[in-house]
Amino acid sequence: MNSTLANAPAAQLSGRHLLGIEGLAVPEIQSLISRSSYFADVITGKVKDDSIADILRGISIVNLFFENSTRTRVSFEVAAKHLGASVLNLSVSGSSVKKGETLIDTAVTLNAMHPDILVVRHRHAGTPLLLSKHVDASVINAGDGRHEHPTQALLDALTIQRKCGQIAGLKIAICGDVANSRVARSNLYLLGALGADVHFVSPSTLLPAGIDQFGVPVHTDLEAGIEGADIVMMLRLQTERMQGREIPSQHEYFNLFGLNTDKLMRAAPNALVMHPGPMNRGVEIDSVIADDAEKSLIYTQVEMGVAARMACLEGLAHKKSEAA
Amino acid sequence: MSPKLLFTNAHLICPEQGIDGKGWLVTEGGNITAIGTDDKVASEAKDAELIDCRGDILAPGLVDMRVKSGDPGAEHLETLSSLKDAAAHGGITSFAILPSTEPVIDTAAMIDSLHLRASRIDGPSLHCYGAITKELEDDQMAELGMMAGAGARAFASGTLSVQNAQTMRRIMTYASMLDLPVIHHCEDKSLTEDGDMNEGETSTRLGMLGQPAAAETIILQRDIELAKLTGVHYHAAHISTAGAVAAIRKAKAEGVRITADTAPPYFMLNELAVSGYDAACKLNPPLRTEADRQALLEGLQDGTIDAIASDHVPVNPDMKMQPFTQASTGASGIEVLLCMTLRLVRTGTLSLSRAFELISRNPAQILKIDAGSLKVGMPADLVRINPNMSWIIEGRAFKSLSRITPFEGQPAEGKVTGLWIAGAPVALDQ
Repeated sequence: MNSTLANAPAAQLSGRHLLGIEGLAVPEIQSLISRSSYFADVITGKVKDDSIADILRGISIVNLFFENSTRTRVSFEVAAKHLGASVLNLSVSGSSVKKGETLIDTAVTLNAMHPDILVVRHRHAGTPLLLSKHVDASVINAGDGRHEHPTQALLDALTIQRKCGQIAGLKIAICGDVANSRVARSNLYLLGALGADVHFVSPSTLLPAGIDQFGVPVHTDLEAGIEGADIVMMLRLQTERMQGREIPSQHEYFNLFGLNTDKLMRAAPNALVMHPGPMNRGVEIDSVIADDAEKSLIYTQVEMGVAARMACLEGLAHKKSEAA
Repeated sequence: MSPKLLFTNAHLICPEQGIDGKGWLVTEGGNITAIGTDDKVASEAKDAELIDCRGDILAPGLVDMRVKSGDPGAEHLETLSSLKDAAAHGGITSFAILPSTEPVIDTAAMIDSLHLRASRIDGPSLHCYGAITKELEDDQMAELGMMAGAGARAFASGTLSVQNAQTMRRIMTYASMLDLPVIHHCEDKSLTEDGDMNEGETSTRLGMLGQPAAAETIILQRDIELAKLTGVHYHAAHISTAGAVAAIRKAKAEGVRITADTAPPYFMLNELAVSGYDAACKLNPPLRTEADRQALLEGLQDGTIDAIASDHVPVNPDMKMQPFTQASTGASGIEVLLCMTLRLVRTGTLSLSRAFELISRNPAQILKIDAGSLKVGMPADLVRINPNMSWIIEGRAFKSLSRITPFEGQPAEGKVTGLWIAGAPVALDQ
């Protein structure tokens, strides 16, 4: 595995919040990935560095999840704990929202407890931005509706960079429900900014409006779209979309757009497969591929997620202490 | 009793009489009794109280044909009294309220009650539309004939868009018997149910589902066919798309009895205003593309669009300080209708005369309100405007209780310096 063993410095961010990849400059992205890679070396035991456990000592982080996501929440929590921060997890979906408290009430209440970083997941686009205007904490977008999921794109880029050595020049096909995917958007911005040749593959009913304006080649045929691809990134298809609305059936979707060994033959000989999880086995991806340790990066992605989030938390905490 | 008034040094605007220039005007007993553009002020004006307009515009007061009232049902958002005060400060002398109140204005008794309550408050005249359907549900026709008898100016739907063609056909047929217009909001709900903004590149970039422009034109095209079938006077409300402008232009050329209005946000802003998820810009219909905006401007110029209405919707911060998807649609509009229209005059898009056709004469004619003209014998509903006075639009300074506007912080030129209803002055803050 290629990796950056040098101790890269803390990521340099220009903004106080991390709300999306769109708007980040390439050097900011690169500094996040370099630092993430160092953290990846530490947490995988390649490098020993006990000092990281003090980096965020005294920093308090609140995971504010308005939408359930065990995977992302745990990843942020582990990242924060590796760096010595204190973490509070708040699942708001069931509690105050039902009592009539508005989002802003929740934010202002939390603000009075003076957290340093607020990690926000919400089912509606733009919510982290809205919250950022009402709190003193730095806000990290942990996924907002169909908009962005910046830490997912960073962990994906980190995974690719460490596996392939570089991102520039790689053909990366992002396949599936592009219309409803924040992962697809964030990855398009990030991987595109780093020089990858990004392609979208999707049934026409799951392509977002105006996608032709984004400068990304779009395919409605999986095999044509992944032709010669170095990376095939499959997106999760929500089951409720497969029942005759956007897609005739799960059966048809797997036949036309599901990734199996045969279809993967069309990609580059050593093509690697990614998925942001959780997977629908037998819908968008065949288990044979998902579990193929040679081809699948799916579990590496989870591991890299912690490292990428460590770099983001540290970068924002530094930014905040500079400003103070 | 209204005083006898002589307005001099006025820049008179009356599209009906083709007047756009310096002149004088006399009012007595609530009506306009003399008007002239020469220096020879009528002799009967001798004992009148003199008002020197110092070159200000003196025009027929604005007629706002699309206003949502918070009263009854949501008086925390707007009362009849705040609405009248806001209208007066916006240069409006007559306005028509949508039936979308709580309860819905779907009976003659509701109209009687509103007329009575409004008559107890000084200021601009309030007119009512009758709901096209009971409780504004997409189903049974309301008592259109009784409401016509109570003085409904037209039959309207708020933001209900009747999805069933047969229901709409029957409403139109019945309304044509009563010789009143049907004012409709065009929206194919099956195409808009999950959409928060205009559909396109911007909605995709912002991660929101969109409402395609076709949602407006599909219903509008259907309604045009039904208007041909029924002969009703059909009025398309707050049109927002280039497709709607084209469809109406074509229908007018074919002789269909159709009129249309749009509102300032649609010709001043485009969907990019939503880019920061600013819920003040969440409207129904949504802000569209720049191409749509340009088409609306053309429609305003060439007569395809007949009227500009405020599309005033009372909303408060609780309804707007929300994730964009969850925020309510609508914004306060009644106090910016005039200045936004005057901006089109300043940019050379419209002549002053055309502007007053759009905000006064045409809506008065569509609704058969005795207003919109400076002809001798007309009620003296007048607005005086200093077109050069500049100000900054600030919601918190609105008279309306609803203070959220997509134009917050924007500069405006043209301020109301006087308002008269039936020849009696209305008190205004300066």
